[in-house]
Amino acid sequence: MATDDDDILTGPVPAPEAEASPSERMRAKAFAELVDKTLAGRTPPPALSADDRALLEVATVIRAASGNVELPAAKRSALVEDALRQAIGGTAPATSGVVPISRARRRWVPWAISGASTAVAVAAVLVLWLRTPSSPTPLPPQARSLDALIGPIDREHAADAASRIDTIFADRLDSYRESLGRAP
Amino acid sequence: MSVASEPATAVELEEEQRQVAEAQAGNLDAMRPILERYAQPLYGTVILPRLGDAASAEEVLRDTLATAVEKIRRFTWQGKSIYPWLRQIAINKVYDVHRQAKRSRRLADAMVHEIAVESDPDTHADAQLIADQERAAHRERIDEAMGLIADRYRTAIELRLIQELPREECANRLGITIGTFDVLLFRAVRAFRKHFGEHDGD
Repeated sequence: MATDDDDILTGPVPAPEAEASPSERMRAKAFAELVDKTLAGRTPPPALSADDRALLEVATVIRAASGNVELPAAKRSALVEDALRQAIGGTAPATSGVVPISRARRRWVPWAISGASTAVAVAAVLVLWLRTPSSPTPLPPQARSLDALIGPIDREHAADAASRIDTIFADRLDSYRESLGRAP
Repeated sequence: MSVASEPATAVELEEEQRQVAEAQAGNLDAMRPILERYAQPLYGTVILPRLGDAASAEEVLRDTLATAVEKIRRFTWQGKSIYPWLRQIAINKVYDVHRQAKRSRRLADAMVHEIAVESDPDTHADAQLIADQERAAHRERIDEAMGLIADRYRTAIELRLIQELPREECANRLGITIGTFDVLLFRAVRAFRKHFGEHDGD
């Protein structure tokens, strides 16, 4: 009887007539189901044991060598499209939702838009940089400086911002009126 | 397009040469018919028999075709099909997969004997002939290993993996239960694996 400790890949294979242990029966059933799935064209689960994977690969090789494995036409076309797209510069996409290469080639459009936007941005930065800086807006000739008008602010008057703003506003308004030739 | 076992006609080769030239001139779309034509033989006779895993084989096929498009300018037309060039790319990719995944190269090595034949520059066989020869060579290797296992194991493999009969039908033909057939097939594949590729010192 085959024991549970038999190494599947390197251990001796029992004779065809030898009685199977319950664990061997279980493994054999699991393997048979994997073969079922493979024959039905389904992908085996990614979490396969190394033993099962090795045996399944051998089974697939036998089938392939017998000419039993065809690549479906739809899958073949999808792989070709993927390969063309991959070669032209994209990443390898999933095989579903494949875009024909003629459309994929229009990828220059976003690049062109991106390039043009960058060029405009660079030009704008250059214009700003090269432009002669204009002098700061001068005070009206009649306006007084804030130092003269407000002076240092004592700590105890720190909360009187409103009155200071009124003072500045009145001064600027007077200056404006003077500049227009009107009396304050 | 030629069918298996029939050599490509001069017209087909001429058409292929024109498509290659167009692709080399920058029209990569011209590669599409070439890739469509050779995807199946590359998959079925070059890649899958050396990997044994359909998902990996599809990825390798895609990479092979992409590399062919990328490097088409390096290809020199020598009056025969582009297929041997594609095939060599595919084989290199298969070995890359084995190397990267640190997998056993048992399957790839088991099929290594054909490479020298098609890489021979004096060989002017066209793609279908090469694919047919390769399939026959694979089959020979399979038969060699089958000849080394017990008759009952050989029958189980024949019924289930080559004729692809349902498990119930296989069990009926052998006069056993499905559970017993499962055990038989399990052991048969194990026994086959032990002998497959052993000539290459694996």
